[in-house]
Amino acid sequence: MAGVLVKSFRLCTRNTAKLRSLSTRPLAVALISKCNENIQTISQIKSSSLIPQRLVTPQGRSYSSKPPLTLNLISERVLLVLKLYDKVNPEKLTLNSHFINDLGLDSLDHVEVIMAMEDEFGFEIPDADAEKLMKPADIVRYVGDKEDVYD
Amino acid sequence: MSGSLTGIVTHTRKVQSLYKRTLRELENWYADRIAFRYNAVLMRQRFDQNSDIKDLRIAKDLLEKGEAELFNNQHTHPRKFPQSPGGVAFEREVIPPDWVLDYWHPLEKAQYPEYFARRELRKKEFVKMWEEKYGKSSTFTPH
Repeated sequence: MAGVLVKSFRLCTRNTAKLRSLSTRPLAVALISKCNENIQTISQIKSSSLIPQRLVTPQGRSYSSKPPLTLNLISERVLLVLKLYDKVNPEKLTLNSHFINDLGLDSLDHVEVIMAMEDEFGFEIPDADAEKLMKPADIVRYVGDKEDVYD
Repeated sequence: MSGSLTGIVTHTRKVQSLYKRTLRELENWYADRIAFRYNAVLMRQRFDQNSDIKDLRIAKDLLEKGEAELFNNQHTHPRKFPQSPGGVAFEREVIPPDWVLDYWHPLEKAQYPEYFARRELRKKEFVKMWEEKYGKSSTFTPH
């Protein structure tokens, strides 16, 4: 019985071309491409009417991946978080300003800054690393290393 | 992992660590952000009251009291970051170390000739950089 099965399986694999003509795949492909066209037209309408767009397109599966990061995006996010912190003067703030010497924060404020960065980027920063992150540029570098972003 | 590798942690670092853990604990207790912020400001005020104590004995005593208070007020279900130990996605993605690629079978390597040619170049560059920085390693191997 098993031998017959194997033989018929082999036959099937040999005559894939014939099988292909029997299968419903071309139909399915045509249907999917038509759907994609429809989705594209929908997304065009959406973008024209200023509805906020998703970062990951719904057509492709994203496998729980995060939105793409670049060093510029990271530094923008770091600076935005710092600008929204009420003890930081946004006019003095640059990527290379020292939190304690230039911005006049104290050690507990530094803890709050690091916690805000943890919340922003969604991972924990251990104390041993946190004490080295004294400038926004250091934080950008640290987050970039953590997320494997190098450009 | 808290503290430096030498094992010496200054008083400031200890207070910073206590403050951070206290705030996270408050976050566990107060899910509402506004309630959390209110209590965080109150907590900050308690820390600031004792910020200019010069006597280290009193400061150390206060630190111990703070640690005890934090210990006694632990939440039963603390929030964790997804990738941290105890988080929902801890060790979900296992990223194989880089040296695994060196142990690929030559036939497997031959499927990616460009990558492995460049990899060999980079390895040579790395060895050169290492030897410039630390000197040549001895050829003696005990095994």
